[in-house]
Amino acid sequence: SVTEIRSGFTAIKANIQARDPIRTLSILSHPHSLHKVKASDRCCITHQLFTFYVDKVFKHCKTEDSYVNRKISSIANSFLSVKRKLRQCHEQNKCMCGQESTEKFKQILANYEGLNVTSAAIKSLGELDILLDWMDKSR
Amino acid sequence: EDALLPAPQNISILSTNMKHFLAWSPVIVQGETVRYSVEFQGEYEREYANESWIPICECSLITATVCNITEDISATVAYNLRVRADVGARRSEWGTLKGFFNRITTSLTPPLMKVIADGYHLLVELEDMGPAFQFCVLYWKKGQESRMQQKVVKEVSSVVHLDTMEAGPDYCVKAQTYVEAINRSSSFSQTQCVRAQGGRSMWL
Amino acid sequence: SGELYCSLPNPRNVHFESINMRNVLHWSAPEGTGDGVLYRVKYSVYGVGKWIRKPECKNINRTWCDLSNETSDYEEQYYASVKAFLNGMCSDWMETTRFNPLTDTKIDPPMVSVSSTEKSISIILTAPEKWKRSPEGESVSLLQVYPGLQYNVSVLNKKTKKRWFFSVSNNTLVVPWLEPGTAYCVSAQIHVTTPLLHSGFSEEHCIATLKDKTA
Repeated sequence: SVTEIRSGFTAIKANIQARDPIRTLSILSHPHSLHKVKASDRCCITHQLFTFYVDKVFKHCKTEDSYVNRKISSIANSFLSVKRKLRQCHEQNKCMCGQESTEKFKQILANYEGLNVTSAAIKSLGELDILLDWMDKSR
Repeated sequence: EDALLPAPQNISILSTNMKHFLAWSPVIVQGETVRYSVEFQGEYEREYANESWIPICECSLITATVCNITEDISATVAYNLRVRADVGARRSEWGTLKGFFNRITTSLTPPLMKVIADGYHLLVELEDMGPAFQFCVLYWKKGQESRMQQKVVKEVSSVVHLDTMEAGPDYCVKAQTYVEAINRSSSFSQTQCVRAQGGRSMWL
Repeated sequence: SGELYCSLPNPRNVHFESINMRNVLHWSAPEGTGDGVLYRVKYSVYGVGKWIRKPECKNINRTWCDLSNETSDYEEQYYASVKAFLNGMCSDWMETTRFNPLTDTKIDPPMVSVSSTEKSISIILTAPEKWKRSPEGESVSLLQVYPGLQYNVSVLNKKTKKRWFFSVSNNTLVVPWLEPGTAYCVSAQIHVTTPLLHSGFSEEHCIATLKDKTA
């Protein structure tokens, strides 16, 4: 559940964010903030982001710390479980992707591809609270 | 050449109220201390991370034949689990749990509950079962089951106030747990009834 | 200021202390430096490319700097940094970890006001306000910042010493059917489920139900 994702992330937040030295770039929040996404596009953006994290991010976040790795595994498996539920919404046409969310997600991918894969993955993982805060607020 | 160390057998899961334990039969080697190590693999690892396995360091080279895997089984997906034995430099093959384990199958027991009448107030004391648990408490005037009322208790803090009672009739209460993460509830506890009595606490 | 030689020991433990989103940067003086150390502060919005100096905290000798104004948008995250100066020498810039006002702030207990009748007490709970620039500024309750905010209310019967707990979402609670002429003490705590945040319990507010006129 999202609560478990948040508690898993809180446990490793300081460790992961300390591995990201780049202050001047963000994957999720700049130049466009998630908070500007229209209500109608939220489900689609959430589904796209969960797919993004599962497909692209977690596999490049392995660390030398076994505790951190176990927490990343629990977050990744929780993401997989939530992603599956979101896919059901998508299949029932309750999660339509508008122009804005497509553009927004393109920007996120561009931010991601602008860095080398490990830096981009660690930065994305370190920004999970940005995603979770936005999801909480949008509920 | 030393005989091959047999892999642990009879690997099973004991899972109650979202506490999950992996257990196995001991590997017997006369005069030797056998140690065991446990690893897990979630659905994510199988489908997206080259079927990688993750060690549980609290259960690395342990002599016990049970391991608390609760911390690592923290998503509602299918997990694989395995354990192997070590004696000195000798190491067994992995023994793997037959079939997957998904925490959705955990067995949920009814909560321990104590109903209290304090003057005209109906209260309930519930057992703290951890952050994953909420409680659905049902209460009604005896004989008026059709007008049952419900209170969801998300955080257990000793005595929880349910409602006020009229003097005279019995008030009955039962509770079940609810785990949002797996969207399942336990069966209901035994019903307990009390009655308001002036200012004094009264059990029936 | 001429060529500075940056070999001064660094400020230590540079971190935000935040209560109700009043976000104050704190640090400890560099090791082994007596009086006379001055500091400069800068901050940056995470993901945005520039550091911004805080003029009100330029060449200060105290070891804190209020950045509430600069970090009031809780949809952003921030870094802050401090540099020390002494006798023509300076330290490195020392940074905080990434600061998320929404999850990293502490919440004060709610305000509790209690009134009573012969057989009941009424409790009004008020969540603290988010920090604001000036008293005239617009008040924003933390209830608006954390929509899932709830109150845990404890009611202690001073005669029987029994304590009851109530969990309420709205800000009023009436406890009826109490014993006349009895003292009850009320305290309350704020509880946010996501992100997970708790305030402490407020001070106890004690009040007695009125005496039974018919007795």
